[in-house]
Amino acid sequence: MGRYIVGRLASLVFVVIAASMITFTIMHAVPGGPFDEEKQPLPPAAKANMMRKYGLDKPMWQQYVNYITHAARLDFGISYQQPTTTVTKLLAERWPTTMQVGILTILFAFGIGITLGVLAAYHQNSWLDNALTFFAMLGITLPNFVLAFLLILFFSVRLDWLPMRGWGDSGCLINIPGQREGFMCADWVMPVFAYALGPMAIIARFTRASVVDAIRSDFVRTAYAKGLGNRVILSRHVLKNALIPIITVAGPMIPDLLTGSIFIESTFAINGIGKFFVTSAFNRDYPMIMAIAFLISGIWGLIYLLTDLVYTWVDPRVRLGAEGSS
Amino acid sequence: MAKAKEGALQLAPTQTGRKDNATRKHRTLWQDGMRRFFRNRLAVFGLAIVVFFLLLAIFANVLAPYPYDEANFLKVRLFPMEDPAHILGTDDVGRDYLSRLIYGARTSMTVGIVVQLIALSIGLPLGGIAGYLGGMYDFAITRLIEVMTAFPGLLFAILIVSTFGGGFWMVILALSITSWVGMARLVRGQVLSIREKEYIEAARALGSRKRDIIFKHIVPNILSPILIAVSFGIPGAIFGEAGLSFLGIGINDPIASWGKMVGISNAYVKVYWHLALFPTLAIALSMLGFSFVGDGLRDALDPKLIE
Repeated sequence: MGRYIVGRLASLVFVVIAASMITFTIMHAVPGGPFDEEKQPLPPAAKANMMRKYGLDKPMWQQYVNYITHAARLDFGISYQQPTTTVTKLLAERWPTTMQVGILTILFAFGIGITLGVLAAYHQNSWLDNALTFFAMLGITLPNFVLAFLLILFFSVRLDWLPMRGWGDSGCLINIPGQREGFMCADWVMPVFAYALGPMAIIARFTRASVVDAIRSDFVRTAYAKGLGNRVILSRHVLKNALIPIITVAGPMIPDLLTGSIFIESTFAINGIGKFFVTSAFNRDYPMIMAIAFLISGIWGLIYLLTDLVYTWVDPRVRLGAEGSS
Repeated sequence: MAKAKEGALQLAPTQTGRKDNATRKHRTLWQDGMRRFFRNRLAVFGLAIVVFFLLLAIFANVLAPYPYDEANFLKVRLFPMEDPAHILGTDDVGRDYLSRLIYGARTSMTVGIVVQLIALSIGLPLGGIAGYLGGMYDFAITRLIEVMTAFPGLLFAILIVSTFGGGFWMVILALSITSWVGMARLVRGQVLSIREKEYIEAARALGSRKRDIIFKHIVPNILSPILIAVSFGIPGAIFGEAGLSFLGIGINDPIASWGKMVGISNAYVKVYWHLALFPTLAIALSMLGFSFVGDGLRDALDPKLIE
């Protein structure tokens, strides 16, 4: 077990470093730099000074080594866009909002998705099942910003029920006394729903299939034959076994949801890290680009590893590393 | 009884009134698949939508009442039917919205199809090599796929577009660079599983040439999953283009793009709701159409699903 985790972590480090190398190479290979004329009009001498200050005059491999040794000590440099703050600080300021959106979305999508999937499976081929199948297809197909616009057009423009934009800054529904911020805000509803519908649909569809599989399995028939009650069978035999494969589907969604969606953030004017995606690429803000690449590939790898570990924990039949590296 | 002696392998006489399956007219997998596809109402509905948008895209210059870039600053942001000459109104520089929507179909369909063709022409050989040759090739290609998966594709697309200044072909390039990864992974997995099948072993034992094994045995068997992947990949690419254009870093201005139309209308959605509604519906409908077709193909072509 310990050896397996160490091996996986080593492979994770390899993937993250490889991704960072590719990012580094590509962002330097594309023409244009952070201190070009149209971005920051500087006299040539000042520009050379700036380049030297940020180490951009050195050969590329040296820049990379320099960067990676600093990054290993969690120093991700200073953002060229806002030279007064560090990249870490900028991300730390905004990532909590993105994570808040992500965590609410995860809770909502997973909770409702699994519930709907189980219900549909228990009532196979009923109207509920058919309706769910149809909505799952809508949810899987529709891009979240398209859904967001449909929601805005209906609930904000037509009905005027919900605020169109913002995150946690307009009339909160429930306020818990003694706490600064509201417990639940009206402007959370649409972003979370628009963001969650896709993952929710995938999870609901997958849950349904795997619960149906479990219901038809031999051990459930045996349980019925033993004379166990319906409820015990469904909760202990069906659900427990059916939920195992869902981890493989749900796990990989988490990193995506935690790093947020530019589309949701830009549609609802949420101050998350999504904006940095665009601005850092346009301004050639190298430290910020690298930090985002690290953040995404790192979280992606970590959650993948966690998913595999959780999987072996809930399903003793699975052996770690039995399949080799895939 | 004398007849029975002629051939040892003869069909048992069928019972009267029962159709014997063994004597059913021979149909190939594809004919079977077509039959199943056209019996699926949702799939046919999806196909109708796809054909509709394809026709719009092909005949955009005939169907559109106005050129897509004809601005009229006297008629800015008209509502639908406000002026009978502009059925769906006009956008923020007075271009006919219906015409923009029709030309938007051309943009979306072209991007979707071209990106998938590129994904196919990179992913198919790479995945095939990894799966069939294995060993060192497999190791290298699998690592490449792994790294590309961990790599933030959107960041990359933005970087490319920010460098080369957006535009139609840059959007296609940006989307293609990440879109082959999924295809390569799929092809590799398919080839790996089929390579070990008994009939391949049999073909090899009979001394078939490598080329025959690949093109007569492996390729026909991975064709339907690839077709299904392509039919889901097209809406994916359409979404990619719409997304980039929505953020304002995709298709450049005079050319019509649904995503851009939605993005621009974001600022005044409260009043000019129609500017957001129509392109949103167009994106939704086209993506649904392709997905229905994809689902239908999967149900029709995947033999494992037939009960």
